[in-house]
Amino acid sequence: MWFGRRRAWSVAALVATATLVLSACSAEDEKSLVDADSLTIGVKADQPGLGLEEGGELVGFDVDMAHEIAERMGITDVELVGVTSAEREDKLISGEVDMVVATYSITPARKTEVTFGGPYYVAKQDILVRADENEVSGVRDLAGRSVCQGEGSNSALRITDGLGIDVSELQEAESYSACIERLAEGEVDAVSTDNLILAGFLAEDPDAFQFVNNPFTDEKYGVGLPYGDVAACEAVNKAVSEMYQDETASVLLDEWFGETGLEVVRSVPQFEGCD
Amino acid sequence: MLSLLCVATIVGLFGSATVTLGQARDGLDVLGRDAGPQAMATTELYLALADMDARVVNILLMGTDHDLGSGREESEAGYESSRGQANEALLQAASLTEGDTVEEYNVQAVLDGIGAYEQLAAEARLLNDEAGAPPGEVDPEALRSYRQATRLMHTELLPKAFNLGLDSSAIVRTNHEEGQSAVAMGLVWVGGVGVATVAALIALQLYLRVRFRRRFNAPLLVATVGAMVLTVGVTLALNSSGGHQSEAKDEGLDAAMALARAGAITTDMQADQSRYLIDDVFADNYQQVYLERSQQVLFRPASTLEDYYAEIGEVSEAFPELPGSDGSDSRDPGTLGYLGQSAQEALLPGQEDALAEVLSAYNDVQVEDQRLRAAARDGDLEAAIDVRMGVSHTEEGVFPAYMDALDGLIDLHREEFTDGIDRGDAALAPWTWGLPVGALILLTLVVIGVRPRLAEYR
Repeated sequence: MWFGRRRAWSVAALVATATLVLSACSAEDEKSLVDADSLTIGVKADQPGLGLEEGGELVGFDVDMAHEIAERMGITDVELVGVTSAEREDKLISGEVDMVVATYSITPARKTEVTFGGPYYVAKQDILVRADENEVSGVRDLAGRSVCQGEGSNSALRITDGLGIDVSELQEAESYSACIERLAEGEVDAVSTDNLILAGFLAEDPDAFQFVNNPFTDEKYGVGLPYGDVAACEAVNKAVSEMYQDETASVLLDEWFGETGLEVVRSVPQFEGCD
Repeated sequence: MLSLLCVATIVGLFGSATVTLGQARDGLDVLGRDAGPQAMATTELYLALADMDARVVNILLMGTDHDLGSGREESEAGYESSRGQANEALLQAASLTEGDTVEEYNVQAVLDGIGAYEQLAAEARLLNDEAGAPPGEVDPEALRSYRQATRLMHTELLPKAFNLGLDSSAIVRTNHEEGQSAVAMGLVWVGGVGVATVAALIALQLYLRVRFRRRFNAPLLVATVGAMVLTVGVTLALNSSGGHQSEAKDEGLDAAMALARAGAITTDMQADQSRYLIDDVFADNYQQVYLERSQQVLFRPASTLEDYYAEIGEVSEAFPELPGSDGSDSRDPGTLGYLGQSAQEALLPGQEDALAEVLSAYNDVQVEDQRLRAAARDGDLEAAIDVRMGVSHTEEGVFPAYMDALDGLIDLHREEFTDGIDRGDAALAPWTWGLPVGALILLTLVVIGVRPRLAEYR
């Protein structure tokens, strides 16, 4: 009688203790990329200067950034895969890629699905015109001219609706490279989007176009990470800080965009925060 | 032999519980009195810097009319006070980030940058004063210096200051998590040793029963129950103190720091109104930047300021409902940003009014912004300047009113923080004496239980 009751007690105590201990442990069992041995990183494959497939290899500013960040996180086994703008969230959420470094602008809406490290660079919306154009020195000079934007982009809307500028025609092309072709052929007067993207095109043909160099929005290029991976986000931020302190970022900016006349910012961007 | 084992396990229980309780207390101490408050202070660096630049641009905007708004003297005093706060925050940041080279570099860079900024800002003020520039018509040379100053502020100083604040959050988080997992490990030990103690006591009881044919040994029985109470009690106390600590961090400190960031960004954002008025060349940029900062503070899908004003008006009316948050429209991500969903989620019951007040005060700021830009577009610079200086007026301005409302909400979270730490301490407190006393009683009971039997044996 006594015996049985006591045993019941001790079993109860044991179970209670074990439950408490387990509940305390499970909280810290979340996986983070900082503990990973290898990374699959999504980059653009069709964006000159940023992420472009060339002879079976991906090259560009984003590609170099991705390698540097991974290396500074202590991960050397890195596989790069091409992603398109539309695929970025899905591939990150499904786990097909661990990280995205692909002209990925940080926006409040995206932050509900993706945790962003960085930004590693704050691009600005700017305008590219033909090299022989000398009457456009600011965004207001686009009044009465035609502007091209990539499909699904709203960069031109910022000019027309946001700033109330009356452009003569708003063209939509399937991609920005198509816009650039139209600009080269004189079918359109100006192309407007992120200055790093424009600089990438310009670097391919520095004599054909020129920058207006009147940036008017911030496009914060972030490092897309699985939602809630705060530790990885903090590690990415640390890596980016280091890259600006030891001037790696500056060297890379020069390497990819140095000849374009783009005014690059060489100091560390304001990070978005990891929560 | 068994009696010795019992004594050893009791001592082990005492030891492991003491160590773990100590770790838990340290964790609370670091968060509550060390890293936590320092992180909060670092977060205020951004606010102080943004305010310095806001004061400078207001002084330039006022020009020769020193009585606009709450007056030039007030702006100058505000500048000095923010300068002092920036220094104070930098000291805190330096002490929190000691030993981390990346962060130490940032602290130093901000320190150096402030010196360079002050020089440019003083130059701009001097040139503008010398030129006798009327309100809103800043002297071109002065404007050139100010552009350099504000560019330095926005590309070098503010980002680093903001990142320092984020890093201090990261340091707090790492400390907190390491502490929690150390305590979790300690719990495993306490639990394990506790079970071993109980098992040893039962074994001793059984041995005595078989060996001396006694029905049961009362002191040992009490000791067994006592060991269980001690183990479960310490475990429960550690668990509840850990819970309070997490609450203090998540709903207290983290929420307070996020809202402080919202205040800092709004400070910079309202200064964009003055920058918009003094600099024709970059007016479009400053307007766009104003919208972007606004979206950071409180996000609603809107690509133009006009749309944004309308959306924000709705948010403040619909509260405590947040527009778009029910997911019925897939293109509408909801009401986001520092004052959006996350601020609402961090609220404790009964705090809705404080957030409602902040949202309504924020809407007031946007209503004034709409008036300001309308006047500027109509070419009525004087009216626009009046609106602008009214916005930042110390006593009647919508911006100080907003900051007051925000501070009220921040204070609620700060209270939650200190209360959480206190509750955590309180959960551990009884065991400071309870544990040694309990262990002594257990040991005494074992001795009392075993001694007569030993005598009998002899």
